[in-house]
Amino acid sequence: MPTTDPATPATPSDDDIAIIGWSVSPMERRTAKTEAQMLLEVVSGACDDAGITRADVDFTCAGSCDYVAGQAFSFVQNIDAVGAWPPKHDSHVEMDGAWALYEAWVRLLLGDIDVAVAMGSGRSSTADPALIYPMEMDPYLLAPLGTDVLSLAALQAQLLLADGTVTERQMAEIAVRSRSDARTNTHAQVTGDAGADIDALLATEPVRAPLRRHDLPPITDGAAAVVIARRERAEQLCANPVWITGFAHCSELHYPGARDLRRAESARLAAEAAGVGNAPVEVAELHTAFTHEEPLLVEALGLGPEVVVNPSGGPLAANPTMATGLVRIAEAAGQVRDHGRQRALGHATSGPCLQQNLVCVVEGNR
Amino acid sequence: MTSTVTSTITFPYQRSLGPVLGRFMTALTHERILGIRCGPRVLCPPSEWDPVTGAALDPDLVEVGPAGTVETWCWVGHPSEQHPHDRPFAFATIRLDGADTALVHTVDVPGPDAMAIGMRVAPRWRAERRGHITDIDAFVPGETAITGGGAGSGSDEDADEPVTMMEYRASITYETPIPANVARAEQAAREGRFLGLRCPTCGRTYDGSRGFCPIDSIELRAEHAVDLPQRGVVANYTIITPVQYPGQTETEPFARVHVLLDGADVVLAYQDLIDVPNDDVRIGMRVAAVWASAAEQGTTSDPRMAQGLVGWMPTGEPDVEDPDLVDRIF
Repeated sequence: MPTTDPATPATPSDDDIAIIGWSVSPMERRTAKTEAQMLLEVVSGACDDAGITRADVDFTCAGSCDYVAGQAFSFVQNIDAVGAWPPKHDSHVEMDGAWALYEAWVRLLLGDIDVAVAMGSGRSSTADPALIYPMEMDPYLLAPLGTDVLSLAALQAQLLLADGTVTERQMAEIAVRSRSDARTNTHAQVTGDAGADIDALLATEPVRAPLRRHDLPPITDGAAAVVIARRERAEQLCANPVWITGFAHCSELHYPGARDLRRAESARLAAEAAGVGNAPVEVAELHTAFTHEEPLLVEALGLGPEVVVNPSGGPLAANPTMATGLVRIAEAAGQVRDHGRQRALGHATSGPCLQQNLVCVVEGNR
Repeated sequence: MTSTVTSTITFPYQRSLGPVLGRFMTALTHERILGIRCGPRVLCPPSEWDPVTGAALDPDLVEVGPAGTVETWCWVGHPSEQHPHDRPFAFATIRLDGADTALVHTVDVPGPDAMAIGMRVAPRWRAERRGHITDIDAFVPGETAITGGGAGSGSDEDADEPVTMMEYRASITYETPIPANVARAEQAAREGRFLGLRCPTCGRTYDGSRGFCPIDSIELRAEHAVDLPQRGVVANYTIITPVQYPGQTETEPFARVHVLLDGADVVLAYQDLIDVPNDDVRIGMRVAAVWASAAEQGTTSDPRMAQGLVGWMPTGEPDVEDPDLVDRIF
């Protein structure tokens, strides 16, 4: 990763890898499509966006979850969406598609192939997410207590409120701002009025104290796909490639009671490894499924008040489990390619209370 | 309006506990809570490894608590079926006296007003303890543990058989939309027909429930449907000796065969053979479909028969000699 070392100037290299196309599905509370159908459409869309066909793709990697799908080896059916004949190099992560993109990026760094597609997909509507989530927690100590994502997030929110990292009013303001910004996002599932009455929101009963309904993400079905290419191929295919100039992820300890939930140390380390602080960041798309996570991440990632956070509305506007993080990176790339920004970052998280964090820095042509 | 199918998947896990959690769970049956020394710190719950460095820890387990301090909490006003209580309760992280890390568990109080960071709590034990995290029924305010009584309370755990396994059973009910192609193929099967789908680009013919041509990545729809022949050839097979896992209904070794339908490019996987001894099953055998009548479909308790196709019987035609048959998958 020569370009993530602050001591090394950002000189072009054959090993530079760019995002050259992407596609995000409609974000819906309940889709009638299968995951494979959703993926077929976004892979086609991303290939069209990149000006390639599936025959140009050398490697594919998908992020999805069997527990969400309700079927063992559910990802095997999804391979129909990528057109796997003649045979392609393919991989799968039982993680958000952002980690599929990370694997695809590492794969291209090997240098023997040029183009890869990363995908993320999830259809959360078919079962109760509060019953699925505990299945993925520690099987001895957490799953038998039914520790769902909402409860775990609320434990962290309570601490952040107690130590002054955030107030309930600020959390409501983050919710209102996100859903108001989402009005310009054609993929948003939930939008709201910028002038929403904060006092009225704070007067509502908590869903899981201290979290109220506005602090929570919607339940979303959706998918996304991103095409990346090595420099020579990217420049052949694309007039405005979006370069990945830093990419790293890092994890907290396994058990949430063993770490300080007032900190997001793994997010800080990932940002440092990705070189976030080497140059100004204009926009950050953060995987903040809960309002209180935003100030914690902004601090951990070292983002100043000038950084625009989640202009898409973020996960509070649409939260397609297993694709939410990949959508953040696509949105960050969109800020650079389509909205004149020079440098942006996409963030993804996995596990309870921001357990694992990934940071992808993207930049315009250079 | 899309029709859906409702299915409940049960996960009856039996997990081995290992040397450290095994002792932790065994101690719970005796109303004791153990942590493990990790350098100068004590971790509770204990782990086999230093969670920071990954180095194996000596099994130096020490008793902690029983009382502790709430580090954070949240209020569950409407418990789910997987939560350990059926009335409102708090989840909390609790740092037990003598420990440097916190245990995630529940606190039983009347309402959120009774909860606070820094409050002191102690365990209320269940009467029936089996070596499970829910042997602690809940924590309650105060300094004093509430005994559950019963076998094991206060006795010496070294004198008993250690707990080595734990059960965890969850179930999730899914309501899944039925894709149009699947609905059409199922309807055809109930009418005694095989529906196929022919790709308009490459001309390959697939099983009618498929959504796509996997070669050309294009969606296959009603206009691509074709009726397929009722005969085919066994392309591969396996003889399965049933393991008696939960839900297994077979008791004797049985065959499952892949059938390549005449005129199609993919096999129908894991099909039943009817009235063929396992020793006679072979690649190249010609077979024909056997269907349940509408009346039989309505009265059978066999889920396969209810869907129309009973299985496959030999036609008596000469075997197909084709060394490439076995390469056909799905």
